[in-house]
Amino acid sequence: MGELFENIRRIKKSGSRAVGCFPLYPPVELVHSLGLVPLVLWDIKEAAPSLGESDRHLQAFACSVARRLAEFILSEDGARLDGILMYNACDTLRNMPEILQSGLSEKGRSLPLLRMHLPMVPADRADANDYLAARVNDLVRGLEEAFGVEFSPERFRESARLYNEARALARRLELLTAEGRVSYREFSRVIRNGHFCAVEDHARELSSAVERAEASPAVPNARRIIVTGILPPPDGLIDAIEGAGMRVAGNDVASQSRSYGHEAALTGDPAAFYCGAYRARRACTTLLYTADRRIDELCARAAERDARGVLFVGEKFCEYEYLELPYMRKILDEKKIAHMEIEIAAGDRDGAASLRTRVEAFAELLDH
Amino acid sequence: MAEVKQAEQKFRKTESGKRLTQLMTEEYTALHRRAGEGAFVVWIAIIVPAEIFSGFKNVVFAVPESHAALSAAKGVGMLQCEKAEAAGYSMDICSYARIDLGTALSGGKDSPTFGLPRPHLLVSNNNNCSLLAKWFDVYHREWGVPHFLIDVPFCYEGQKDRDRAYITAQYRDLIKTVEQLSGQTFDLDRVREALRTTREATRHYKRFIDCAAARPSGITAFDSFVQMAPLLTSRGRPGIDRHFAMLADETEERMRSGLFPVPGERYRLFWDSIAPWHQLRKMSARLAGLDANIVAASYTSCVGSHEGSYELLQSYDGGDPLEALARAQNFSVCPYGLNLRVNAMTRAARHYGIDGFVFASNRSCKVYSIMQMDCLRTVSRDLGIPVVMIDVDHADVRTYSEEGAFTRIEALLERIDAARQRAG
Repeated sequence: MGELFENIRRIKKSGSRAVGCFPLYPPVELVHSLGLVPLVLWDIKEAAPSLGESDRHLQAFACSVARRLAEFILSEDGARLDGILMYNACDTLRNMPEILQSGLSEKGRSLPLLRMHLPMVPADRADANDYLAARVNDLVRGLEEAFGVEFSPERFRESARLYNEARALARRLELLTAEGRVSYREFSRVIRNGHFCAVEDHARELSSAVERAEASPAVPNARRIIVTGILPPPDGLIDAIEGAGMRVAGNDVASQSRSYGHEAALTGDPAAFYCGAYRARRACTTLLYTADRRIDELCARAAERDARGVLFVGEKFCEYEYLELPYMRKILDEKKIAHMEIEIAAGDRDGAASLRTRVEAFAELLDH
Repeated sequence: MAEVKQAEQKFRKTESGKRLTQLMTEEYTALHRRAGEGAFVVWIAIIVPAEIFSGFKNVVFAVPESHAALSAAKGVGMLQCEKAEAAGYSMDICSYARIDLGTALSGGKDSPTFGLPRPHLLVSNNNNCSLLAKWFDVYHREWGVPHFLIDVPFCYEGQKDRDRAYITAQYRDLIKTVEQLSGQTFDLDRVREALRTTREATRHYKRFIDCAAARPSGITAFDSFVQMAPLLTSRGRPGIDRHFAMLADETEERMRSGLFPVPGERYRLFWDSIAPWHQLRKMSARLAGLDANIVAASYTSCVGSHEGSYELLQSYDGGDPLEALARAQNFSVCPYGLNLRVNAMTRAARHYGIDGFVFASNRSCKVYSIMQMDCLRTVSRDLGIPVVMIDVDHADVRTYSEEGAFTRIEALLERIDAARQRAG
């Protein structure tokens, strides 16, 4: 069952409560400040290896993120969650709260479900900030009522500080990965764990990982690439990437740098905090207001890290990602950055041989 | 086959059908002409309130989704999809988007309307589907055209006042944007007039689709799919209310004369999805051969309603037209949740005396489809009505299997028969 299941058990044993958050970028600081542990439920193949429960509710053309999320929440392990929090991250996830409630109800279960609408327009547009501020304040009240807790500005500021600290450590670990001091597989494992545990625990794990990496020698002369997508490549594929002599010198992955890439200005006012934090985030295909800067940011990352190639890890059925792909290809071609696309679907086997062959061919392409 | 041919005879164009063809031809011709004469051209997502553009003297709007539907119905959907795929767009992307991209990227080649005139502004919203925003972003980047997104909160319950105020504020921003870009002055009274026209058109359209409540039904849902077009491409324009008044009058007259699309109607079905544009004639004819009629659809019964209902609720009493438009912003099925969908479908099913539901699972439209499995179970349980799920992409015929679909539909009809026998 992996880290997620173990962590929930640990959280419950310590007397705390676990709130399952829909991906991609839920307001985790707020949940944490209320003495709850937010767990962001993505990249959970280990915790939701089969899709039997999900298949009763979602068609196979839903992406793997949605299907595994449904699978986990409706599974026996998901029964250990104390609540669910979601925002309008994408059309598929937006449709899911009542599906999950219906599925839970069939099992004689129910969970508090909290929702927030994140405006997808630029901040300078009419009422966007005021609207978001009001929704954040609604969410504060909703969480207080659902869990019988009380909001504190001081605790919120401290939670925000802890998350900023963890994000800074994640960015540091990414740089160490670029230097070859730690493998991308190990980096991905550590970052993945952070979605499934309390931020204090994750900060400790990140600190240790940074310390170990800093003690390791840098490895020069690798074929440097940037990985982009919603989720990182599966472990088997990362092995193939690194085995082919490529180094992931940076990433534009939603569950990785798009999650930890920003630093939010600290304040005890959650409404002001999130109005700033959501705008400060790295561009993502799902944050519609960041559309104009996404490819620029990707190219800037490639230039900054001296990467010669971009590997697009396509989440099958994610139209947000795929509608930007042709434009991304065009710009990368103009900048003479090599690129390759692979597609990952829910039923795929980790590190399939055909993908290995393509990865090896891509690595050779980078030498020319 | 003889039965199918007989049924096809009954699908000869009515006067309203001929008038619709003329109306749409004039509409697209005028669109190109006015664009050529210098009108400010806006491309809009299907449920962006087009009446707003009536507030400007020389602004025209085009609806790429509606053009994509027309292309699919005219048999060029696959061709345009293939062009988009050749340009690198995945087959998993909505077929409307692929048709539109294929059309636009080839300069309108093979389009039944010679494509659409190039826009000065793109306006999308994210409540019907966010994909529209990504799709319009393609043009925004390729052509350097500004893209205005209207952010509309999804409705899990009825629309809240705070959301309506937020939407209305964005309409005001949109108006300012058009004023700045076009150099034209906005006149709210013109929007009032457009809204009155829409209200009348919608009222008559509802009267038309309500002919499905009769036994046998005076229409098929396929008629309502086709006749819906002016409500999307010509909303608020003078004259469309007259078209819908004549459509309803003519349909009622045909019923009085004993003319029904499926005279031997034994099965009254309800369709849940976008129209299967590439199968309109074939599917309706084959169903008629089985004495089955899809009499109503969630896709069309929601017109003029509010979220979670099917009754005509969209009204306008002369107040703030922008607020009235904002109130109707979540009327179509995709912008609201499972409980509201079940409510709307249940009420419509009772009203139309439905015997069975056809849920068309549509990989091209995830927002419509993801919810259907729970919707199907709930409706079946609550109403005790047989249901079936078939796979139909609304505009890409390549993923559709007619035999596969009809095997399931025929099984549904058998279950309806079995239920009737049990009921004595």
